[in-house]
Amino acid sequence: MPEQKATTAVRIADELSSCGVRLVASLPDNWLMDVIETIRRDGRFIHVPVNREESAIGLCSGAYMGAMGSAALMGASGFMTVIYALTKINYTYEIPLLLLATLRGAAGDHHKHHISNGLYLLPVLEAISMPYQIIDDRDDVGLISRCYRHTRTYSRPMVVLFTRDLLRGRH
Amino acid sequence: MNYLECFRAIARHRTNEVVITSAGNSGQAWWAATGDSVASFYLDASMSLSTMFASGLALAQPDLRIWAFMGDGAFCMNPGMLMIERELNLPNLTHFLVSNRVYGATSNAALPNFAQNDYAAIARGMGLQRIFEFRKLDALERGLSQMTAANAPGHTFVVLEVEPFTASEQALEQPPFNGTELKYRFGRHLEAVLGCDVFGYRV
Repeated sequence: MPEQKATTAVRIADELSSCGVRLVASLPDNWLMDVIETIRRDGRFIHVPVNREESAIGLCSGAYMGAMGSAALMGASGFMTVIYALTKINYTYEIPLLLLATLRGAAGDHHKHHISNGLYLLPVLEAISMPYQIIDDRDDVGLISRCYRHTRTYSRPMVVLFTRDLLRGRH
Repeated sequence: MNYLECFRAIARHRTNEVVITSAGNSGQAWWAATGDSVASFYLDASMSLSTMFASGLALAQPDLRIWAFMGDGAFCMNPGMLMIERELNLPNLTHFLVSNRVYGATSNAALPNFAQNDYAAIARGMGLQRIFEFRKLDALERGLSQMTAANAPGHTFVVLEVEPFTASEQALEQPPFNGTELKYRFGRHLEAVLGCDVFGYRV
């Protein structure tokens, strides 16, 4: 893998480990493949590939009740399918959860099928009052820990959104 | 087999297991059978995620024995959950699939393909090996003794074929707690029995 992408993936993994994340449940997005592969190979994590994004919400929420730090990693399209699970489980029971997702459909994403995510992902987050943090630069990867801690303070979920420039390099 | 009698039988065989229930009838039935709001977590309206939630808990706490109930209405929304359960193969988790062939929480509305669905076969197709099916109460009583006495080598999947709730059973009380109260009751119980720190995070 190109050096810059490898470094970004490793920095994300290091940051997750530093804030106590042990379980990472994931579904793929092409932009995330280096991150997923890095986590899969990293003995600090239990990596669980899941069948759908809602399953990641359930797994990570249960892990929280077992005092295990966790994160759910997914693409923007997958995130758009989990609104019910987040609001029913994590809002109703006030269970913290860190999600990591791609900021699809923004400038730099040349895939037309992600236009809907560009139009609606951020408005959906705002509609459910869910805090988010966009990370566009490798020097800001440390914000992941800040967001993880915020989920514990806030007792609800928060999502970190990775841009294409962060994960794949500017083009 | 009668839904409530089935749950009462399971409750009689319970020792130190914590319990996760699914939406609707399973929560009502477990509450009616046990009145437990400390070592049971009622994951209401979870729409197929009760065993995923239980899997996360079981993964985090290998010494904790967990029973998770799920209706077949919820199961049909996400049968692929069994792929994850098989891959994790957690010996401390038992998945009870409560098959009443209807969406019990919504006035017993019809379930798609209800007459043909073979849940044990689906589980076998996903590679699960420790599968039990019970259609009669006496068989359940015998089987529960066998199941709970053995050290499970891996994940256990149990299909309970029950009758849908009657109109009077549908009126059974829902566990009378809001979500955050349940979270703290259950989490404090886990902290006490496991010595772990669920809520101890401080900024």
